Formats: sequence, C-alpha cells, structure tokens
Amino acid sequence: MGSPKAALEWHGSTLLRRVTGIVDRAVDGPVVVVRAPGQELPPLAAGVEVVDDAREGRGPLQGLAAGLAALEGRAGAAYVSSTDVPLVHPAFVRAVAAALDGDVDVALPMVHGYPQPLAATYRVALRPLVDELLAADRLRPAFLFERCRVRRLDEAALLADRRLAAADPELLSVINVNEPADLEAARARPAPAVTVVRFGALRRLPGPARATVQAATLGAAATTAGLELGEHVVAAINGDRIARDPELPLAAGDKVALLAADAGG
Amino acid sequence: MSPAGPDTLGSAALREAPLIPGGYQGGALVVDAATGACERLGLPEQVLRDYLGGVGLATWLMHRLAPPGVDPLAPAAPLAFVFSPLVGTPLTTSAKFAVVAKSPLTGMLNDALASSHFAIAGKLTGHDAIVVRGAAAEPSVLVIDAGGVRIEPAGELWGLPAAEAEARLRERLGPAWRIAAIGPAGERLVRYATISHDGRHAGRGGLGAVLGAKRVKAVAVRASSGRVPLADPAAVQAAARDLRSRSFGPATAKYRELGTLANLLAFNELSTLPTRNFTAASFAAAPQLAAENLAELRLRARSSCASCTIGCEHIYDVKGGGSVRVEYENVFALGPLCGVSDPDDVLAASARCDELGLDTISTGGTIAWAMECAERGLVDAPWLRFGDGEALLRAIGEIGSRTGLGDLLADGSRRAAERVGGGSAAFAPHVKGLELPGYEPRTLQAMALGLAVNARGADHNRSGAYEADFSDELDRLAGGEAHVHAAIATEDRAAVMDSLILCKFLRRAFAEPFAEWAVLLRAVTGWDVTAAELERTARRIVLAKRLFNLREGWTRADDWLPQRFLEEPLEVASGRTAALSPERLRAMIGRYYEARGLDDDGVPRPEPLQELGLA
Repeated sequence: MGSPKAALEWHGSTLLRRVTGIVDRAVDGPVVVVRAPGQELPPLAAGVEVVDDAREGRGPLQGLAAGLAALEGRAGAAYVSSTDVPLVHPAFVRAVAAALDGDVDVALPMVHGYPQPLAATYRVALRPLVDELLAADRLRPAFLFERCRVRRLDEAALLADRRLAAADPELLSVINVNEPADLEAARARPAPAVTVVRFGALRRLPGPARATVQAATLGAAATTAGLELGEHVVAAINGDRIARDPELPLAAGDKVALLAADAGG
Repeated sequence: MSPAGPDTLGSAALREAPLIPGGYQGGALVVDAATGACERLGLPEQVLRDYLGGVGLATWLMHRLAPPGVDPLAPAAPLAFVFSPLVGTPLTTSAKFAVVAKSPLTGMLNDALASSHFAIAGKLTGHDAIVVRGAAAEPSVLVIDAGGVRIEPAGELWGLPAAEAEARLRERLGPAWRIAAIGPAGERLVRYATISHDGRHAGRGGLGAVLGAKRVKAVAVRASSGRVPLADPAAVQAAARDLRSRSFGPATAKYRELGTLANLLAFNELSTLPTRNFTAASFAAAPQLAAENLAELRLRARSSCASCTIGCEHIYDVKGGGSVRVEYENVFALGPLCGVSDPDDVLAASARCDELGLDTISTGGTIAWAMECAERGLVDAPWLRFGDGEALLRAIGEIGSRTGLGDLLADGSRRAAERVGGGSAAFAPHVKGLELPGYEPRTLQAMALGLAVNARGADHNRSGAYEADFSDELDRLAGGEAHVHAAIATEDRAAVMDSLILCKFLRRAFAEPFAEWAVLLRAVTGWDVTAAELERTARRIVLAKRLFNLREGWTRADDWLPQRFLEEPLEVASGRTAALSPERLRAMIGRYYEARGLDDDGVPRPEPLQELGLA
C-alpha cells in the first residue's frame, strides 16, 4: 500500500481511528490495539489501549495472543478486527460478539466465500492454546480452529440479526483494503448516510431540524447542521452514549441527535 | 452529634452572643398557630456560617424544633419558611425560599423551594426564617410583618384554590402583602399537597398538608421599609452585573427559549422518558407533547421569577380557557407516565393540579401506579386506564377531594401499595415514599444512585447526578465508580445552591462553582469564606439531613430503588440493554457510603461528624 494501513485516510479519519471507534461503540469492555513493536500509530481516542506484539511478522495468531493477554481478567471474550475495514458496522460487531455463547470458543463469520478470522469473536481463555500453537510455529488461524469449538456464521445466519440486516445487508463490514485499488474503491464510496436531528433550542436554528446527510464522523455530521460540538452542544448516536468527540466514527443508518449540553433540570 | 441528640446540633453556638453578619436578620420567628404567640429564636453567626440559609439552615432548625418521632400532621410538628443570605440582593435568581418540615409522605426531612417576592417580603419582616407550630382552632391565616404576628379567621377562603385565596387575601390586606397559600388538597391532608405563591409551588413532599393540618390556609408577609445590610455593597453590585450577563448566555439558553419542557423530546430520544409507570422509557406520542411543537401552538407568555434574568417560565393556553405554567416534570408525569398523549388533557390535568394544590410528580406517579393496578385487576377501577385523559382528570379530582379511589391515592403510591398488596409494591414508583421524577434510573445510572440515597427521597433537585449521565464523562448504562463520584459531587453542589439560595438553572454559568459562590458570600456577609469551607458546608448539610432521617427511623433499606428497576431491563434504541442489577446498585451505594464517611449501615462514622462539627 506504500504506507501503514492504520494511517490511511477514509472520509476524514484514519482507518485505525475509525475501526477502533466503531468497535468501541459496539462493545462494553476495553478496546486494545496490538501493534508491531515500536510501530508509530496515528492518534487514538482517549481510553484505547495499545500493546505490542511479542514478535513481529508472525501473523494474526501472534497479535491475537497479545490482545487476549491484555484482556485477561477484564473480559470473557474479544471481538478481533483488522485495521483495514473502513466499512465495518457496529451492528456487525454486535452480531458476531453475540454469537459467542457458552457452547463455543470462537464465533467465525463465513462471508463472501471465506472465513473471516479478523472479523471474529474469541474467548479470552483461548490464550494458552494460542501460545502453544505459536510455540509450535503453527501460525495459521485454521490450526486454532481445529483445536477449539467454533461456531461458523454463514451469511444467512448473520443476516438473521434484523439490526445487521438493516444496517449492512451486503455484509460490507468484512471488506478490507489490501491493494491501492481496494483503497480507491473504498474511497469512491460515499461517506455513510446518517440522519441528523436537532433537539430543543437547537431546533430553532436555521435549516431543517431533521436531515439525512453523508458524514463519516460526528464532527462532520454536526457541521452539516451548522453546529460545533463542545461545551454547549453534545450528541447521542442512536440514543445511546452522549459524546462530543468530533472524531467519533459514524456508520450507515446512524441517527445523530444534537442536544443542548444541559439536558435535565 | 449522635443521631438521637438533635438538640446538640449547634447548641453551644446558641449560647454565644449574637452577631449579625451582612445578609442576615439574625433570628427566626417561631409562631404558635393555636394562639398567635411568637418568640424569636436567635441564630448565632456560627450557625449561619455553618448552614448558610435555605435548606441548610432549615435542616438545623428541624433538628432543633421538631420533636423526635413527631407525626408530621400533628400540631407539634414545625413547618419553616426559610430565607437565605442572598435574598434581597440584586443577584439574579436569589429571590427564593425554602419550605421545610417532616414530610407526611416520607416521614423524613423534606424541603421544597419556591421563587417569588414572598422570599424578599418574608425576609424583610425581620427574620431569617418563619416557623409555624401548633394548630389553629379554625381555618386561619397568619399575618406577619415587622410589627408582629396576628391570626385572622379565614373560613371564607377555605376550599378555594391557592391562587384565588391569595388574590382575595391581598384584596383584604392590601397590595404590599405577599401570600403563600394552600389549595383544597392541603386542607384535606393529601400527602403530596403543595404550598404556593404567585402560581409557583413549594411542591414536593406534602408541605401543604402540614400547613393544612394546622388549619392555616395562608401565611401573609409584608416587607418593612428597611433593607438587609450587605458587607460590601459595591462588590455585590459588581457580582450581580457579572452574573446577570452570564445568565443571558448559552448556559441558560435552553431554559429561556423553550423551558424545561425541552427535556421531553430529548429524553425520549435517549430512552430516559418514564412511560406507563416505568414499563418503558420512550413514548411514541412524545412529539405531540414536545416543547419544540407545542410552543408554537400554545405559548401564551414567557415570564420570570422575582429577581431573575433567565426567564424560564413558559405559560401555555389551556383548551377551554385559562393557562398553565408548563414544566417538563408536570408534562412527563401527567403525560407519558400515565400514557396520555393528548396535550389538551395533559395541560388540563396540570392546571387542575395547580388549582387543587397537588404536586404533579407525585400525582402522576401515584395515578400511573393505580392505572397499572387497575389493568392488573388489583384495584376495582375499570375506568382507570393508561392513555385515558378523562380518567386522569377524574382521578386528580378524586384525589383533591379524597373521594372514591382518591382517598387511597391521596396517601401516595407507597402507602397505597401497602394497602392494595398483590405485589403492587414492586412497581410503586417511589423512594422513601416520594414518587420518582422524570429520570429513568436504568438508563441514567448515576442518577439511579442519587435517587436511592438522597435524604428527600426520589428527587432530581437535591441530587442532580443526571448531569453526569447526560455528559460524555461516563457510560450512563454502566453504573460504577465514576457514577458514585458524580452523584456525590452533584449532591454537594445542590446542598450549597439550595442554601445560598441560587437557582440551579444557573449552574452551568459557574466554571468553579464553590470558589465563585464563596466570592458572592464574602461580598454579602463579610466572612472570609473559601471554596474549601463551602465544600465542607455542603458535606455538613448532607450529613445533617441524614442524621435527621436516622433520628426519625431511617434504615439502610430506605436507600434503595423499587424492584421493577432492578428486575426489568430496558433496551435503548442502539440495541444495548440497560440493566441495573441489585448487585450493581448495592456496590454503588456501598462506595457512596464509604466516600461520605458512613458505615455499612449508612450511619455516619464519628470522624466526619467530628470534622464537620456535628458530633
């Protein structure tokens, strides 16, 4: 690609900022980035943790081991994502995370004809097994899947989740960018279509109170409504957490509520 | 101070020679409603400095004047109108007073604030507080000015709405008089009756019933021509100019432009709008009741409290004539909480509550509970159904007159559930007997803690932890350590604001609140008060309230939420589940106790009592 994937730009965000932000929106626990030892990363949101691979260049299982180790004692399972999936949607992450129940150790999407080990959920307790495979130089995820209980999620199974079916019916969440042409194709796609709604006194500003716009970040969505996030204006995405970070990534179908910061009283 | 020894609260200070700092009158007037006899209780400077005024000073007065275990509706139970050091100054929003008594609804300390010229006139009678004890032999009014106190019969006012009684009494006494009155609900001892002046209510906890039990229809006050001295008048004027300019800014825009009803549609979006007795947190018909839509159709006028530059009051037309002050809380409680979506019905219900003198939150909460009981077949009232505006109005009327089902509902949802049984206590929407305001605890988990532990009961004015829930400081669905700190911080800020007294709608105008409040208090009183001292004052007031409740029988079980909130998760629009488990709530309460210096049973440990002068 000519430059680290993490720093590639997509509609105003780096891929790393976007993917970590989308995953953070979808899970309750911490978000951990695994990097090559000493790798320089683009800026991350506050609270995102960074750990190093023990050894560089040994593939996804090495990163998986570092990530699972960082989560031991704090989470029972981890959704694992590569950094090069600009179209990943929170509904996809939630659906794959929810598919990991007590009967299995891995929830593995089978999408577009391939298993997607870097868009899957793993039980944190798999870490010793992953270490064992690494020690034996068995570096492919398939070796892990041979040794644990895997729930394979085909497209029909994934799209049975009504929220995912509505948000990402083509399962573009797993489309990654490996070549310059992939990146160009991804950039050719418009930013996500989101609905922006102004509430309360903000509704009295000029322009429609509700509009569908294309915006990949919260800041971009606020700008389309003539507002700047800050001391007096905050936002809620899909009626969930309150945010004022303009870099927070948006996904297709999001509803952004722009609110006076002094809700209540 | 031991929980059993209220008279020790500041008793040493009482023996000191009185010194009157700026902003104060130096004493409380204690009136016997039976005889008209009165006495002046000196308020030494240290007491005033330790408790400030308003809710803080009222707490001190209740420790001293309320007999332990007193029935709130008995003649011996005191009710106090308490002013504050800032009343009468040009500081915006300072014309406020606290009304305080042991609540007939909760059996615990209850304070309610109102804003009006009654505060200024009351203080200029020459007293920092007016306390009423005893009970008159017949319906009466208390008439108080600098010349003294007299009791006048008020048989012709009995049965009138408070506003009408106020108008008639003013005709009789003259326009200089300011009058706080009760409506028919207070006369009939509805346990959530209000006291009102100029259409604004000291609303929560049934203070109107306390006055009604004393057969006092109204208290009339007239200001003397004098003024309360200020330590540094020029500094007060400068602070007033600065605060006034800040009150025009974006920090108060919401209140000015749409009023608190602006909350309704936003709360609906955030799944925090209690609906159908808390069985849901969003209401499909919310847009019909939203300020964004109603204001264009119904707004008759905007208005301000006395000495206020914010202008939050929004007065809407009521179908069929008349008007009503609209706030989020009355629309939430009489609308979504009861499943009622027709704005005509909701505004009419709100106006009816005003006429009768009923707290709209407790009225709506109790009726919503009864609607659920009726639908479950637990009460014999087939006419009472969620969404039925006519039924809502009928229920309000029956409560005000204590007729039919109203006699049960007039005692509030806790007592009614105890009588109805059938598991209805699990969904009776109260804490300590006080019905919940319009903040869904499962989706506002800092607020959930605030509601559970607050001395007054389920309350959004003494615990404003929702401020943190509605910020990006924490995840409002995942209560934990940050939520505990937020609940404590907002409770402390409220304790000082409610004692100074300043309107909480100004809260976002203060960047460093304790430091800025200390500057105001220094200018008024001349004290060398600091932010750190006011932070201690806040803790003292919070613990003093808890001590009063302990004395009156509070136990740890009272710091809890109704079962519904702990067993029935909600789903928010994003798909996330909002669940507040008993374990999570217990853990937050435990951390709150620890941080407040309480033991595992919620009783203050000796160290904080010693530190704060409460030992």
